[in-house]
Amino acid sequence: MAQIKLFGYADKITIKPGQKIDIHVHADGTDRASAQLVKIIHGDQHPSGPGFIEKEVACEVNGEWDVKKQFTQVGSFLRVADPAKRLAHDGSFTIFGYVWATLPSFGVRQSLIGRWDSYRNEGYCLGINRSGLLEFWLGDGKEVDYVAAEVPLQPRIWYFVAVSFNAETGRAELYQEPVMNRYNSLLGKAAPLDYRSHVAETLRFRAKNGAETPFIMAGSQDWHELRGYFISECFCGKIDRPGMSGRALTRDELDRIRDGGPPPPDGLLAYWDTTVGYTENGIGDTVVDVGPYRLDAHGYNRPVRAMTGYNWSGRNDCFRLAPHEYGGVEFHADAMIDCNWEVTRSFTIPKDLKSGVYAIRLRAGPGVGLAEEYVVFFVRPVTPQGRLAFLAPTGSYLAYANEHLSFDTQIIQPMTGQPPIVADIDVEMYKNPDFGFSTYDSYMDGTGVCYSGYHRPLVNMRPKYRVSSMGTTWQLPADLSIIAWLEHQGYDYDVITDEDVHIEGLAALAPYKCVMSGSHPEYVSEPILDAIEDYVADGGRFIYMGGNGFYWNVAYRNDDPSVMEVRKLDSGMRAWAARPGEHYLQTTGDKSGLWKNRGRPPQKIFGVGFIGEGFEDSRAFRRMPDSYHRTVDWMCKGIEGEIIGDCGLAHGGAAGLELDRYDRSLGTPPHAKIIASSGGHTDNFVLSTEEVLYAHAGLGGTQDYRIRADIVFFPTAKDGAMFSTGSIAFGQALPAEGFNNTAAKLLANVVEAFVQDGPLPGSRWIADEKQWR
Amino acid sequence: MTTIWKNPHQVWHAAKANPEAPTPDWTDPTEIWRKKRTSHAKLYKVGRLRYYHKWGGHGAKLWSRLRYWPTRRRVLDIRSEYNPKTQRVEKTIVDKRPIWWMMALMALAVLPMLTPGEVANTLLGAATIFLIYSAINLCWTLVIGTAGIFSLATMAVVGAAAYAAAGTSVFWGWPWWTMPLSGAALGLVMGVIIALPAIRLDGFYYALLTLGLNELCRVYVIQSKTFGSATGGLYGADSFIPQSASQSTQLIIGYYGSFVVLLAALLLFRLVNGRRLGRILRMAPEKREAFAEAAGVDYRKARIHVFIITSIALGAIGGYYASYFRGASPSLFSFDTVLLGLAMLVIGGLGRAEGAVLGTLIVVFFDKVLIDLGALRLVIIGLIMLFVVLFLRRGLFGIKEQFRTWRDKKKSEHRSARAEKGGEMLPEEATETEDKDELYLRRFDKLTRDYLKTLVTDEVIEEHRRSPLGQHSEALERLLIYFRRQPQVDKYAITVIEPFKSYRIVALSGHRGVAPRVVEEKVYTSIHDAYHGVFMRRVQDLLES
Repeated sequence: MAQIKLFGYADKITIKPGQKIDIHVHADGTDRASAQLVKIIHGDQHPSGPGFIEKEVACEVNGEWDVKKQFTQVGSFLRVADPAKRLAHDGSFTIFGYVWATLPSFGVRQSLIGRWDSYRNEGYCLGINRSGLLEFWLGDGKEVDYVAAEVPLQPRIWYFVAVSFNAETGRAELYQEPVMNRYNSLLGKAAPLDYRSHVAETLRFRAKNGAETPFIMAGSQDWHELRGYFISECFCGKIDRPGMSGRALTRDELDRIRDGGPPPPDGLLAYWDTTVGYTENGIGDTVVDVGPYRLDAHGYNRPVRAMTGYNWSGRNDCFRLAPHEYGGVEFHADAMIDCNWEVTRSFTIPKDLKSGVYAIRLRAGPGVGLAEEYVVFFVRPVTPQGRLAFLAPTGSYLAYANEHLSFDTQIIQPMTGQPPIVADIDVEMYKNPDFGFSTYDSYMDGTGVCYSGYHRPLVNMRPKYRVSSMGTTWQLPADLSIIAWLEHQGYDYDVITDEDVHIEGLAALAPYKCVMSGSHPEYVSEPILDAIEDYVADGGRFIYMGGNGFYWNVAYRNDDPSVMEVRKLDSGMRAWAARPGEHYLQTTGDKSGLWKNRGRPPQKIFGVGFIGEGFEDSRAFRRMPDSYHRTVDWMCKGIEGEIIGDCGLAHGGAAGLELDRYDRSLGTPPHAKIIASSGGHTDNFVLSTEEVLYAHAGLGGTQDYRIRADIVFFPTAKDGAMFSTGSIAFGQALPAEGFNNTAAKLLANVVEAFVQDGPLPGSRWIADEKQWR
Repeated sequence: MTTIWKNPHQVWHAAKANPEAPTPDWTDPTEIWRKKRTSHAKLYKVGRLRYYHKWGGHGAKLWSRLRYWPTRRRVLDIRSEYNPKTQRVEKTIVDKRPIWWMMALMALAVLPMLTPGEVANTLLGAATIFLIYSAINLCWTLVIGTAGIFSLATMAVVGAAAYAAAGTSVFWGWPWWTMPLSGAALGLVMGVIIALPAIRLDGFYYALLTLGLNELCRVYVIQSKTFGSATGGLYGADSFIPQSASQSTQLIIGYYGSFVVLLAALLLFRLVNGRRLGRILRMAPEKREAFAEAAGVDYRKARIHVFIITSIALGAIGGYYASYFRGASPSLFSFDTVLLGLAMLVIGGLGRAEGAVLGTLIVVFFDKVLIDLGALRLVIIGLIMLFVVLFLRRGLFGIKEQFRTWRDKKKSEHRSARAEKGGEMLPEEATETEDKDELYLRRFDKLTRDYLKTLVTDEVIEEHRRSPLGQHSEALERLLIYFRRQPQVDKYAITVIEPFKSYRIVALSGHRGVAPRVVEEKVYTSIHDAYHGVFMRRVQDLLES
């Protein structure tokens, strides 16, 4: 019998009691799985902590579920809605478009534009053959006939390509001309390649246009007996302004389109103007047909837009300035955004369920390893109950969702300073393209991944998971150490998510006296950052529980917040760099990249901001002199000595992984106090790149004083306050020594003060200092 | 030789870190760059002169490509590519065989006009025999080469068909043009009968069976009165060659008739070998049938198809043979005919049309043209065959491929003798490296490793054992940073068997979608030990390189 594997996801990441949630499950080797709703308390199995803790919760769906194998469509493409079958054209025709292929010769056929069924050999298609040659092929349901260009397409060069097919004579003429300028392609004029090719051949038969074949760009239809129809032969690269004419266009007519002219209107069947539809606030997945029949094309798996087109001049860096230069739509054969599986079970969240982190636990067969799955979701209250809220950084969970760093990234070991520790689930994810990528990965053509969604199994957003490259927990499993501490302390807390704050803004935060962030809230959209800033400015008390937070500017669509977009650029510790001219988010039209580079360094709101990272050793904090001031000395009540957080589940200290620092030059409020600072970090901690102007020797932890974590506090208006812990490892330090440690003590003092009404303790010790000693 | 390294963190009270550690004396890592001034191996000039012309690309000009009507095959298979040295577009004819065939067939077409008078008769007679045997061998190579059935019954089919066709003409007075047809009909019958055991018998046993069949036919016609046991054959059949014509005219008509038979056999070879049937069979060569079957190829059916098709064709050739010679003789079945035929196939190379024809040409030339040599000519044929079997893998037409394989073998022998393992690339290797950055990477890596090897001491290993993570002495830190920066292919990692209890060392694949492989069975009971296990393997690899 096959190995039993279970994977699943929920349609919603945040939900209220009484609302319906759909669970999608894929199963290998079994058709039954036992499901159990559980409340998740702690997710780190590190022997120095309390271990994994979950509580089973009574629910109507608990019990045996019927599960089955589900199939995932991998690859992004455009599908044309053509109910009148205008494109099932039997006469002469011309297909044309601009292309920029990233992997033209990787030994797999790639379809560009056509109405082709590769299972039945029906239809016609313009594509790239296995040798990297532009090729036009057609099939009569039995055989395929084709004509190929003379010279192979070169990677990352813009071409105008076309085929004119004369149905009377059967003559097909390929057209391939470069449309390079000094900016838009990999090579320039100095490389003496002749990219042109014009080949004509007389084909033996005409295409048979299958009734149900869809017109696809960057893929073609295929069929499998278990799976049914799907799209294969996907393309890697960009397509700009494709079209189809109902007659065989002449060389002169094609020359005019190549030079930027519109296609001749007589006989035009469709012309997808990829530059139509840009607004100040971005563009969606629909590519508009400006031809006579309005056959719009719809993107699947998010073909990337807001990409430079064939005529990008290098002068404009955003589609808002010159939409006509942003016709590029980028496709990837290994893109996977949404699994679109069938729903396995739907159920209503029990009315009396307390807010928290929950999961449907699925088990089959042995019930361990791959035969166990947690489908995690966050339950928020119908009306906010507690005074304290935990803000789960779901955007950052998405950014890291199913990351492949240990396997694909050569620099991850020098970064983390250790060999990776991979588990079965990592290998399973790596072997399988169906899991999609994180924004830390690249597609196989080397382009960075800018989209990540939660409609797919997220192997690292589940308890017990350890990030393979660092040997610790990360994101949700790490944040569960904060949740476990809240439970241990007996605090009444609610859980809300990035998605709630993105959609509802300040209203989602306002009911709470105190809001705590996750350990690594790195990716936030503008509405989230605005809401936190307004909350704190308006008397809210915020505890920033981590490091390297509020770093990247990301975007969600309001009608589909399941997918996050980020572009990594310019500076910052980044897994990839967006290409020139492609720095603005398709989703909103905002410039992506670091918030710092947009004039909003995190120091302005949180008092601290990212300074360096290292992943093999953590340190303790030591109290700073300001912590003895009576405005803040209540925080250290009950802590003996000066050391804070000298133990923890993340490499044995509260200051580790990623560190944030107080910096007046980046907007730390003038009255902020440093309560404690860490120090003595190893040379594996190196100054973050956005701080480096000239790189020089000695930017490591043992030589640069800036590499440290600062615990910073400052009060805000209307008795509000900000407390930042300055390090990711702080959260993982809380459960150490049975929750009885100095980091937990400090945090308890802060939280207990923050949830009280009225002014904070010590808030009146503000007179001029007149000291005798 | 050791000094004491002091951890800068001792003042920060870092609990786990080594406060100090013995470490090798510092040496300058750039020193090795100053010392290394020449290559380990002698550097020869490389580069090859282009002494022949290559056509450029069509560029903006339209290239109208012609096809063999009614197929989709282009007249010539041409590959265009960018010359890696100049980036000029250059055309290469990938498959020049159509050109050679065209020249050879044209030569055959005009041969009768070019033969000098005194030897015309010998030459044309031999050429006709060559054409007929070429046609037979084309069918035979389909059976042995393409279908992989080791049948020696080819001449039995031809002979039986020749006797049958001659019989229809002699006894029933059927005209000459029916003879290939009646021969084909008998070929079909024979084909079905001989094909049946091929389903169950393999290789040697099948060859024996078919040889026996051949012998049976010979004995039968020798003893049968009807088939001319007394006259040494069955003669008197009708022929397409008018008896009234002069001898030279008769020879020329016979020659062109046989030329048409050869063309028809070539067409058949192309239709069977170059289309679906041939592709299926080439997927299932001998000893790999199981794989083909698992891939869904019904190779048995395809083999039987090919066998029956060729038997019909061989029957037709037999009918033609009877018509050409006005009858049939028992020598058709003789063992030496079978052996000569086999020699023709083997010399040219099994499974190729050009091999079958060239092999036939050579054997017929020695056997029929150099008839003055007497018995010696058979010895010569035997020697040629022996040479081919001993030294050539796929006959004369496999020489090119075999030569290239041999050259590649020599090349890698020379390279491995000259190149330093893991050292700098030689000029000849550089020509094969597209990204020239690789060349520098190899140089840098080599010199770095030479330096790092001097840092591996017991003290450094002990320092790592005590504290695999965290701040280390400069020597250890340099080693670790080098190890961590290695490319992903075969880079060591750790896999979890049970969290916090047992671990094992694996090597990453470096290829997307390919799982890591286990490199040793040893189980480490703590992550600390596993880190050190990885370090020890990396140190060992460094010292061995």
